Amino acid sequence: MAAMGKRTLKRSSLAEHWFPALGTVAAIFGYIFLVLPSLIVIPMSFGAGSELVFPPRSYSLELYRQYFQESTWMAVTGQSVKVGLATMAASLVLGFSAAYGISRTDFRGKGLLTVFLLSPMFMPHIAMALAMYLYLSRLGLVGTTYGLVAAHTLVTVPFVIVTAFAGLRYVDRNLELAAATMGAGRLRIIWKVVLPLIVPSIVVASLFAFLLSFDEVVISYFISSVQSETLPVKMYSSIHWEISPVLAAISSLLTVLSFGACVAMSLLQRNDQ
Amino acid sequence: MIAFIVPLAVFFAAFFVLPLALVVLASLFDPVLTGSNYQEVFTSALYLRVLRSTLEISGLSTIVTLLIAYPVAYHLYKQPPRQRTLLMTLVLLPFWTSILVKSFAFTVLLGQDGIINNIARALFGPDTALKLLFNRPGVIVGMAHYLLPFMIFAILTSLLAQNRDLRRAAEVMGAGRLKIFRSITLPLSMPGIIAGCLICLVLSLGMFVTPALLGGPKDMMLANLVEMHVRQTLDWGLAAALAVLLVIMTGALSAIISHVRGGGLGSHG
Repeated sequence: MAAMGKRTLKRSSLAEHWFPALGTVAAIFGYIFLVLPSLIVIPMSFGAGSELVFPPRSYSLELYRQYFQESTWMAVTGQSVKVGLATMAASLVLGFSAAYGISRTDFRGKGLLTVFLLSPMFMPHIAMALAMYLYLSRLGLVGTTYGLVAAHTLVTVPFVIVTAFAGLRYVDRNLELAAATMGAGRLRIIWKVVLPLIVPSIVVASLFAFLLSFDEVVISYFISSVQSETLPVKMYSSIHWEISPVLAAISSLLTVLSFGACVAMSLLQRNDQ
Repeated sequence: MIAFIVPLAVFFAAFFVLPLALVVLASLFDPVLTGSNYQEVFTSALYLRVLRSTLEISGLSTIVTLLIAYPVAYHLYKQPPRQRTLLMTLVLLPFWTSILVKSFAFTVLLGQDGIINNIARALFGPDTALKLLFNRPGVIVGMAHYLLPFMIFAILTSLLAQNRDLRRAAEVMGAGRLKIFRSITLPLSMPGIIAGCLICLVLSLGMFVTPALLGGPKDMMLANLVEMHVRQTLDWGLAAALAVLLVIMTGALSAIISHVRGGGLGSHG
């Protein structure tokens, strides 16, 4: 009995001894896995020649030159920026005004309405893609930029609303009341009191909306045409049919963009607290 | 005040409710008024096989994600706030990275001449060829990578919400770190694990890009079948029935999630 007790004690203390180290090793493995794709595309993008090998045999800016000189890649990039900015504007206006309206009133079914307005977040993009495709083809809007902006706005608006709620929660309502007693109208109160106080959430929401639209692929794949194709759609077909090395350059540029977004977000959130 | 909500409500009526109504109508009436689309979905061997692989891939990638995510979340939880913020960048970067960049990177990493295979050849001889792409392992790796940040956020939130006095009490009474982990930290983080797994299931059930780019013909998921019907066989009624099925599945899971914790989630796959 005594010997067995001693052995289990020893084994458990051995496990105790190794547990922190094993945990750290597993975590490091996790971190490496997380950043591996981003780390791989950057050296690849400086490779020369037409084959994708890692590490590249020689280095050059050839793939970047290909990307910037190819008019079709430039066209789809321009289209993505255009759709992203329009989506950002539409979802900011619609999302912030709705969030303001909801947070400053009480009515029956308020909770239900909020759930409804956030529900596109939970919906598989493939279902929205099919819905938009069936709907826009009846309206004759398949392949148009309007259709893309409408669909992307539906995707981004819930995220804008969530961000707006978070920002509006910290606006002291007594300030609004004070402005109202001094005779300011509703729009003037919003413009002079509320908006200046929620600038950080507006910036976060704009970034969110733009990036979500800029990266959206499934819905755009269904409802865009050759003329209105966005960057992710062209990347999708390019990976699907033939993996072109120029994708390495594009992926690196997008990784830098994502990194910028990360840094901006964490700085803004720190300022928010 | 209601006037502020009206524009978005009108937008939702026009671009959310009506389109979804069209899908439901198409699933029931296209080509004729019958339940034949649904009947076919639940009886045809192809659909049942795709439904099964959808559930298998979603379940397996959620488990793999959990196994990789937990040590990372636990490590982040142990760090002082400054280091945690820095290390969080490693989680946030993939979160903000386009799924196409990731898919491209994985085709390069996992391919026949990819980095993994080159390392394997260096270690085990030149005849080694691991088949990691256009099959189940490829899809699972790609999906797990997409899901990881969501799982890590969910678990980290529940770890950080724990009362630290419990740990300190256990320490004072002489419990080692493993003992504390097993009897305090892990059980108390179960809500985070459950929420994280449910979120990952919702996100993976509707996955389209990863199975299309990293999987083979046997790894087709419901979303890929919807696309096939819309763009190749032009059978909108069946595509609609599949989409309705998918929305019901993810909707039910989402309802459980918001019941478990009142948080939101994002999806852009």
